[in-house]
Amino acid sequence: MILDHRLILLATPRQIGVLDWRPGRMHWLGEFPADASGLAAFRSIIVRHTHLPMLLVVDTVDEDYRSEVLPHVQGRARDEMLARKLRQVFRNTRFTGAWRQARETTGRRDDRYLLAALPDAEWLTPWLSVLHRERVPLAGITPLAMACQHLLEKLREQSAHTLLACRLNNSLRLSYYHNGLLRFSRLIGGDVPAPLPINAADEIAKTQLYLSGQRILPREARLHVLLLDPSGQLDSAQAQLNADPAFSTRRIDMPSLARALRIPDDFLAATPEVAPLAAIAGESLKLNLAPPELLQHHSEFRWRRGLHAAAGILALLGLGVTAAYWLHARDLDERTRLLTWQYQQLDARYQTIVRTFPTQAMPPEQIVQTVKLARRLDQTQTDTAALLATVGQSLLAMPGIALDSLSWTDETLAADGEIQVSLDAGLSPFDGNYRVAMQHIEDFMHTLQAMPGVQAVTLRSSPVNADSSSTLSGKTLNAEASDAPAARFGLSLRFREVRP
Amino acid sequence: MTHPPFAVLKLPLLLLLAALLLAAGGLLWGQREAKEAATALQRQQTALNQARQQLDRSSQQQQLIATHLGDYQALVSRGFIGPEDRLAWIEAVQLANRDARLYGLNYRLMPRTASPSALAQDLPLGQTRMTLTFPLLVETDLTRFLGALKARAPGVLRIQGCRLSRPDHAPFEASSQPHLQAECDLLWFTVATESRALK
Repeated sequence: MILDHRLILLATPRQIGVLDWRPGRMHWLGEFPADASGLAAFRSIIVRHTHLPMLLVVDTVDEDYRSEVLPHVQGRARDEMLARKLRQVFRNTRFTGAWRQARETTGRRDDRYLLAALPDAEWLTPWLSVLHRERVPLAGITPLAMACQHLLEKLREQSAHTLLACRLNNSLRLSYYHNGLLRFSRLIGGDVPAPLPINAADEIAKTQLYLSGQRILPREARLHVLLLDPSGQLDSAQAQLNADPAFSTRRIDMPSLARALRIPDDFLAATPEVAPLAAIAGESLKLNLAPPELLQHHSEFRWRRGLHAAAGILALLGLGVTAAYWLHARDLDERTRLLTWQYQQLDARYQTIVRTFPTQAMPPEQIVQTVKLARRLDQTQTDTAALLATVGQSLLAMPGIALDSLSWTDETLAADGEIQVSLDAGLSPFDGNYRVAMQHIEDFMHTLQAMPGVQAVTLRSSPVNADSSSTLSGKTLNAEASDAPAARFGLSLRFREVRP
Repeated sequence: MTHPPFAVLKLPLLLLLAALLLAAGGLLWGQREAKEAATALQRQQTALNQARQQLDRSSQQQQLIATHLGDYQALVSRGFIGPEDRLAWIEAVQLANRDARLYGLNYRLMPRTASPSALAQDLPLGQTRMTLTFPLLVETDLTRFLGALKARAPGVLRIQGCRLSRPDHAPFEASSQPHLQAECDLLWFTVATESRALK
């Protein structure tokens, strides 16, 4: 809306007025008579505002309105149909236009159009020449009755059949609206320079008869007449109309109008003609009588403005997203700085601790490991005296057995944690009786097995091998023989020291 | 509005293009800034986590050192940690032999080898086998000798095994001459310091 700044021109055959309008603010730039000086002054105003779109509101006697019901078509077909119809109805009139007002609710559901034209608009040419020469973006040309329709909307007038009697510029405009949509309008006394006495009540009655005759207004309809007259000349008409049951009247006072249009009272009182202009200024144009060639600059203007807006939005969007990313990055940077500070604190504490470490080759974990290993090597050593005592006690229990050799291997560091013992001995004396010898060896093994810490006593070598698969030879001996052979054998056992 | 009048829209189109480039450039720049900041944050977060772990570890190490440093230094003094001291070992077995009042001994020291990994547990632990051969009068001489050796040993020593035998197979008789032969395998353990770690 901030870009919605425009000039609204009100053109009559005698003069043209210029309203500088933007939402919530307007400025009357003046009226310029239709002569050389007026044209020059108008041009000087236009030159200063060539960058603004302009809407030309025409107020003239030479207006023609026609209601038509046409088939419902769309797009190019509609354009062609309307062009054809306008040519048919208004012949070669340059300023024509069609407005699709509503769609029928019954039958083929045709469209209802209002066709309008300015049959004699030569007086517009000098003004349009100025606009065209200055490459002004002309948004359109529309009759004053259309502006008055928006005035009714602002006044929230909701009667089905409304006749707006508007006295401005020494003329009386009567416009008929059905359900708020323009159907007909006529200007009385507009083209004469001097004010003429107008009997408004008579003119309104005549207009009602015309509308009824043309079947524009239903015969039984009661016409609601709105009287808009800043000069107060229509007050007499109100009394006459109220006396007729076919009418109901309401006078629009200036304060109500100013309130509805949100413009200052004094501004409206000074320039009452701005009322319809202010009403239509912010609205989209529904009935445009301008030929396409006059709208070329406005088309360019709209493209240009659209592209500028797109560029602006794009730049703003990019700027916004960039700013968001930048702020996000700064937030991350701030968190990084906080983490860096925490890191430095931790590192300082770490350095303090590390400085207390002794300077040696091994890391602390290896120091612990080394100490534990040394303890293990020291503590798991089996006491040799215990082993020798165990073997010695067993030999004492078996006096006939003489020890030849004893060897052991300490495997306590291994998983089983035992000592492997190997023992070689002989029976002495031996009388050659292997049966008895084997019995003694058996007893010795039982004795060893019974000792604490001794396990898995096995016979590794026997004095005699009586196995069927081997050869057995020897000689029997005399009992008194002095050189009796020894009966040697070997044992294996596992020993584990019994610790308290 | 159906056909844009391109001829008169050159400047607005250029403006739109410039805005597009500006927006795209800003977007890319902002994205890169944010990405770099996020990467730096992630990197710093990782560094902080590592520093926290390092600090925890160093605290634990400090406690370990406080607990074990005395024992460690004692092991260094004993010669368990550091290079092997063969002369001290030979001296120890000689002194132990004398302390046990035995009849002399023969020794043989093998080259140092790395201990089995199951025992070493990643430590540079090495072992040196020493074989001792010496005569005995009675079996208890052996225990006296080994006890004296343990008392004299300057490092960590283990008796790997012994063999007691009677070489002449003579019957026992009361004599002052030694008839028993002992042969013992000893393992001297040492932990090499880092500079001389075992390969």
